[in-house]
Amino acid sequence: MNFIKRGFLGITRNKGKSLILLAVIFILGNLISGAISIQQATSNVESNIKERLGAAATVEIDYEELDALSEAELMETEIEDIDIDLIKQIGELSYVKYYDYNMSTSLGSESIESYQGEDMEDLVQFGPSMDFMMKGINYAPVLDFEEEKAKLVDGRVFNEEEVENGTSVAIISQKLAELNNLHVGDTFTLSNMVFTYDDETGEEEIVTSRDVVLEVIGLFESQTLKEDAGEDSEDGMFDFMDMDYQNTIYVPNEIVRSETEYYWEELLKSDEEFAEMMEAEGEDSSFEYYTPMFVLNNPEDSEAFEEEVAPLLPKLYTVVSATDQYDSIAGPVESMSKLAKYVLAAAVIATVLIIGLVVLLFLRDRKRELGIYLSLGERRGRVVGQILIEVMVVALIGITLSLFSGNFIAGQVSDTMMKADHNTSQDEMMYFSEIQTNLTTEDVLDSYEVSLNSSYILIFYGIGLLTILISTVIPLVYILRLNPKKILM
Amino acid sequence: MMILEAKDLNYYYQDGDKRRYILKDTSVSFEKGKFYTILGQSGSGKTTLLSLLSALDSPHGGTVLFNDEDIKKIGYEKYRRNNVGIIFQSYNLIPTFTAVENVLIPMSITENDIPEDVKTVAYNLLDYIGIVQSKADRPVNKLSGGEQQRVAIARALATNVELILADEPTGNLDEEMEQEIIDIFKKMAHEHDKCVVVVTHSNEIAVQSDQAYLLRKGVLSSYE
Ligand SMILES: Nc1ncnc2c1ncn2[C@@H]1O[C@H](COP(=O)(O)OP(=O)(O)OP(=O)(O)O)[C@@H](O)[C@H]1O
Ligand SMILES: [Mg+2]
Repeated sequence: MNFIKRGFLGITRNKGKSLILLAVIFILGNLISGAISIQQATSNVESNIKERLGAAATVEIDYEELDALSEAELMETEIEDIDIDLIKQIGELSYVKYYDYNMSTSLGSESIESYQGEDMEDLVQFGPSMDFMMKGINYAPVLDFEEEKAKLVDGRVFNEEEVENGTSVAIISQKLAELNNLHVGDTFTLSNMVFTYDDETGEEEIVTSRDVVLEVIGLFESQTLKEDAGEDSEDGMFDFMDMDYQNTIYVPNEIVRSETEYYWEELLKSDEEFAEMMEAEGEDSSFEYYTPMFVLNNPEDSEAFEEEVAPLLPKLYTVVSATDQYDSIAGPVESMSKLAKYVLAAAVIATVLIIGLVVLLFLRDRKRELGIYLSLGERRGRVVGQILIEVMVVALIGITLSLFSGNFIAGQVSDTMMKADHNTSQDEMMYFSEIQTNLTTEDVLDSYEVSLNSSYILIFYGIGLLTILISTVIPLVYILRLNPKKILM
Repeated sequence: MMILEAKDLNYYYQDGDKRRYILKDTSVSFEKGKFYTILGQSGSGKTTLLSLLSALDSPHGGTVLFNDEDIKKIGYEKYRRNNVGIIFQSYNLIPTFTAVENVLIPMSITENDIPEDVKTVAYNLLDYIGIVQSKADRPVNKLSGGEQQRVAIARALATNVELILADEPTGNLDEEMEQEIIDIFKKMAHEHDKCVVVVTHSNEIAVQSDQAYLLRKGVLSSYE
């Protein structure tokens, strides 16, 4: 009949009280487990969505800050360019998996047609078309492919040499290739047209142009729309974005640079007024502008990355990362998460108080029994141990039961709550920067799932048992102060 | 040799700024093989004295020696665990446990040598005291007062101690039952060489003891 055996006997011999304790622990356990379930589910959403948003980051002009400047301040500030050295410096940071910097320009063509959507209505075109977006790259395997924005379906990516030398090779979309009957190994011609704009007549006039001949080395297929195909709500917008992307032509940066240089030189030659103006400003390399794109090892590194990069940037620049968009689409889940936190805190406090009180009342009822143990010379520590066993065994059962039911209830409750929440809140229009996403609040809600996973189970047992342990400690002080003489004699 | 000795015990209750002494420089000693009684009027301090002898309370002055060792030095808990068996007027058994379970409890607490087969020992002990096995397996609140006190005695004896202290053990029992209990105490003292100290109101019990003391005005004296 040592204290361990007495503890177990104490549970079975005081069935009524054990059941009451079990019921109380079960009810409070449901609150705690529900709150933890929701908490877990929301944090899973966060990592899941951030994962899907990707680990891309870029450096851009901070338009908010720019808008906040007064006119006078604006006149004084000179916005510097981000130069390649800085991009490379940032790219060397440990957070960065790989990076690229791009220079883009739009070109037209007389020999190939641009892709205008599946049902190709003949659009009436005014003036020279500039439908082709030549996107220069420095990272030979092409960042967009690595990040699964697109997939190479035929041919190959660039090699270092081509990037270095600015070889005239290109990767185009499969749709564009099909449309123009182009295959890997074929060449096609774009034209770099320089035209002036007459202020008075409003007419554009081609001054000069030169051909850009590129060899197709690979074909890509856009990946971003796959998942959403069939969803009607925002198809229009995405179709439009997709069209642009189908007409994107990947080339080494050097090609874009030299075409842009040609364009500017010819433009300056043809427009003296403009040339003088530029001369006065003293900007000689203003045509060379690269947009950097960094892909981090882990979306969770975003904050640390931003912190480290911010001091390196010139004035008015800021780091924008894909995960920034999480906050704007995760409203309902965030509010669930907040609510769950409050419920958890309240439930833990309530549990400590209620269980503490219940155990204390039960102990007072058994004062004589405890006094007897002490009169028989039992160590107080073991009497405490016996009570701990009695409470914790019941707690373990109650908590195990509420582990499942609380989780189930949490699933039901959060479903209804989020639906209600989502219906009342209008989707905000988002500002898309260089980093784009087509994830919406809908996706966030879809990825929300209350599940029974091992980390939830571990956390719940940890918090649940610890809470009950704490609540039992208070009444145990009562045992330590018991005076057997007063009770028994 | 004396098994238990009280030397100059003092015990008082604080009454405002006055001390009301219950025991005043009281000394007494007990030896093995003898059955003692302590008489005294209600409120004279008998229970108080017994609580000091059984280490359920500590005196404000004086010492209690067990086999010449200060029980404070032995440690009160340890002394209760290994050296003394206490019997109360109100039995103080644990109602949710059976008789035999109540007897088994101190056997798991004591550090004294007791036979391995504790259950058999407990049943035999109960049987010896007059509780047959069918009653031994009953929850104690389903036993009569006399039976409950027998269980309490068995519990006190279960740890193989040489010293038994009882506070009005027959106070709640009728005369017939009282005599049976007293016979057990006599047997313990005379046949098993234990030292038995019983606090009582009853002259009938006192006259059967080897030595009776009277507690009056905080002091013990021999009672004839
Ligand atoms: N907590 C207390 N505070 C003040 N006085 C107390 C307290 N407990 C007991 N007393 C007093 O101490 C005295 C001795 O009490 P004790 O219980 O030892 O008497 P007793 O001889 O056992 O009496 P009884 O025969 O009625 O059991 C009594 O006068 C009692 O009123
Ligand atoms: Mg008394």
